[in-house]
Amino acid sequence: MIKIPLRYNIGSLLARWPGTLMTAGGIGLTVAIVVTMMALVGGLESTFIETGRDNQLIVIRQGSLNEVNSYFNRDLFQMIRFLPGVAKDDRGEALASGEIIVVINHARMGGESSNVLVRGLSDMGFVLHPEAKIVAGRRLNPGLREIMVSRSLSQRFQSMALGDSIRFARSEWKVVGIFDTGGTAYDSEVWADYNEIAQDWDRPIYSSILLRADSPAAADQIRRRVADDQRINLQAISQRQYFAEQTSSSMGIRTLGFFIAVVMGIGACFAAMNMMYGAVMSRATEIAALRAIGFRRRSILASFLVESLIVGAAGGIIGCIVALPMHGVSTGTANFQAFSEILFNFRITPAIVLRGLLFALTVGVLGGYLPARRAARTRLIDVMRE
Amino acid sequence: MKFIGLLLHNILRNRRRSILTVTSIAVSLFLIATLLTLLTELESPPETPDSALRLITRHKVSLFNSLPVAYRAKIAQVEGVEAVFGSMWFGGVYKDPKNFFMQFAADTDQFFVVNADMVIPEGQRKVYLEDRTGAIVGENLAKRFGWKVGDRITLEGALWDFDAELTVRGIYSGGGDVGSSLFFHWEYFNEALGNPGFTGTFSIRARSAEEIPAIADRVDALFQNSTAPTKTESEKTFVLGFASMMGNVRLLITSIASVVIFTIVLVAANTMAMSIRERTREIGILKALGFRRSQILSLLLGESVFLSLAGALIGSFGARALFSNINMAMVTAGFLPRFYVTPGTLLICGGIGVFVGVIAAGLPAWSAARRPVIAALRQVA
Repeated sequence: MIKIPLRYNIGSLLARWPGTLMTAGGIGLTVAIVVTMMALVGGLESTFIETGRDNQLIVIRQGSLNEVNSYFNRDLFQMIRFLPGVAKDDRGEALASGEIIVVINHARMGGESSNVLVRGLSDMGFVLHPEAKIVAGRRLNPGLREIMVSRSLSQRFQSMALGDSIRFARSEWKVVGIFDTGGTAYDSEVWADYNEIAQDWDRPIYSSILLRADSPAAADQIRRRVADDQRINLQAISQRQYFAEQTSSSMGIRTLGFFIAVVMGIGACFAAMNMMYGAVMSRATEIAALRAIGFRRRSILASFLVESLIVGAAGGIIGCIVALPMHGVSTGTANFQAFSEILFNFRITPAIVLRGLLFALTVGVLGGYLPARRAARTRLIDVMRE
Repeated sequence: MKFIGLLLHNILRNRRRSILTVTSIAVSLFLIATLLTLLTELESPPETPDSALRLITRHKVSLFNSLPVAYRAKIAQVEGVEAVFGSMWFGGVYKDPKNFFMQFAADTDQFFVVNADMVIPEGQRKVYLEDRTGAIVGENLAKRFGWKVGDRITLEGALWDFDAELTVRGIYSGGGDVGSSLFFHWEYFNEALGNPGFTGTFSIRARSAEEIPAIADRVDALFQNSTAPTKTESEKTFVLGFASMMGNVRLLITSIASVVIFTIVLVAANTMAMSIRERTREIGILKALGFRRSQILSLLLGESVFLSLAGALIGSFGARALFSNINMAMVTAGFLPRFYVTPGTLLICGGIGVFVGVIAAGLPAWSAARRPVIAALRQVA
């Protein structure tokens, strides 16, 4: 059992509090940056991962990676909705909705324009998107140039408040409702009536069909059925899986975040090392005293490592506290696959906080190891001579 | 010059501390230099005299919407337009969806006039023009997949209902995309789809750069009231639009850089505080010897600035050296065609070094210079 003079170590850290605080602060800021980047990436990815249900399928063209790039004949809808396994509502209507996706260019609040995804759906579509809760206004009426926008979009883009009108394609479209899907990918969309969109764009096709299956087993059956039919050239993907595969848009930010974390981590290690060396050198007499009392070399090593761990932990806590206000901040970036903007929030989860603390502790240990070894090697005789 | 000697001596006295401080600062400034360069590259795409003469015409509503190929003849007649060609995004899959790169079906007769900044051997160009199923690929792209002239490539149609079977007829370098794309004949594309007669965008070569805004207005006026209205802008504006799609990168980068700078200040301040505290007695002696307060202050500030500046220069020049040896265009599939750490960025990093040095030493140096000689001499190390 290694005896560590903990009270001495802690007391020492407190006695030299300016230096301890500055180092912990430095490590803390590094952790804050790393946690913020993780929250950015995590927020973007969770938007995709949490979208979709297991018993719902999205049917798109074979070979398309995306609803946006998919298009097929409307006749195929009749065939799909009568497949065995497709759930029906109480009136016997198949729970399947044909949808069309188009992309428009619109200006954000700050002036720069960006691409926004518009989804044309039918009444049945609303049944299949139960996650969409109307928070203001009402549902759109079919047959009219009315649109509903997500809450995130209305806050980020110009003229998307309740009652505003935007111009795209050939007409003016009125915002009659604001919806919120609780952080899913659908929170980056504008919804309109299928027929109006198909007309204005002169595209009498479907981009996708969203359908609900009776059970996961039935969903599987439908999926295989669609894949096996060579004539129709379609594929059915579980709604959940479809969105999970869209996370590739976060690749760029993830790489950047990782790069920053590694570089900053290295810098923080050197800073911690610097501080600990300073501490070790100035406490040579104290260390010698400890050795004289009887503490073994490995106790000295361990105790200095513990000191740097404590500084690291303090830094980690400071960093997480500093980064906390970023939680929930909303922003958006390009979903290059769908060629439109995807809106999401910074998201700090307990897992991220844990990783931040681990990062801080690692920096502390890596930075403190060499100085701790130096401390352990202090020779009594050198110190006594001075 | 005795001043410098004293300064260097003090810095070298605790070599390990000086090296650790310089290294820590160098690493952080490396990061800042990289971030600043990323920002610069996103906000100022590379330009050549030829690219500065290019405009892109797309559907006004969305880049996704196609334009009738008949527009080409009308655009060619617009005042100020020297040459024009139509180009369609193919978006096919080469073996694996992860192998993303830009692919275009472009008509060929004016292609090389508008893309005068593309460099390709005359022989290869001729063969490409004559081979309906030929393709030209950028040199970075060729390097990435190991393609050579004569190789057969299949692009599986993800957006379109046919697979493009092509033969590499030429490898080009330069161009707006810096050798990162693949082009094949629009005629082949159109035929494979049954002659629907549409394209995605038109690339125009203007007679002169000054006429660009006027040309853009004239082209858009032509199609304003048609079923496919257009939006024409200089190639540079078009490219910048993509960067702005990514979000407020500028805000993110400047925020991170600010926090990093603050961190460095803490690190440097810690070092200077330790260093100055150890030398309280010495400083007292110096004052007793006749050094004035301002000289002490200059000495201490000088040490701090020397260390920070050294770190800043090592970090930023290190970034420059590293990135000039990495082919960023290849690594990022053409997204970042160039990653050049400019002298301006180096200057900013140097400035940060000086700034940090001054601030870090500020308080401890000032209080040390002011401490009465007797109090200083009394200190036992």
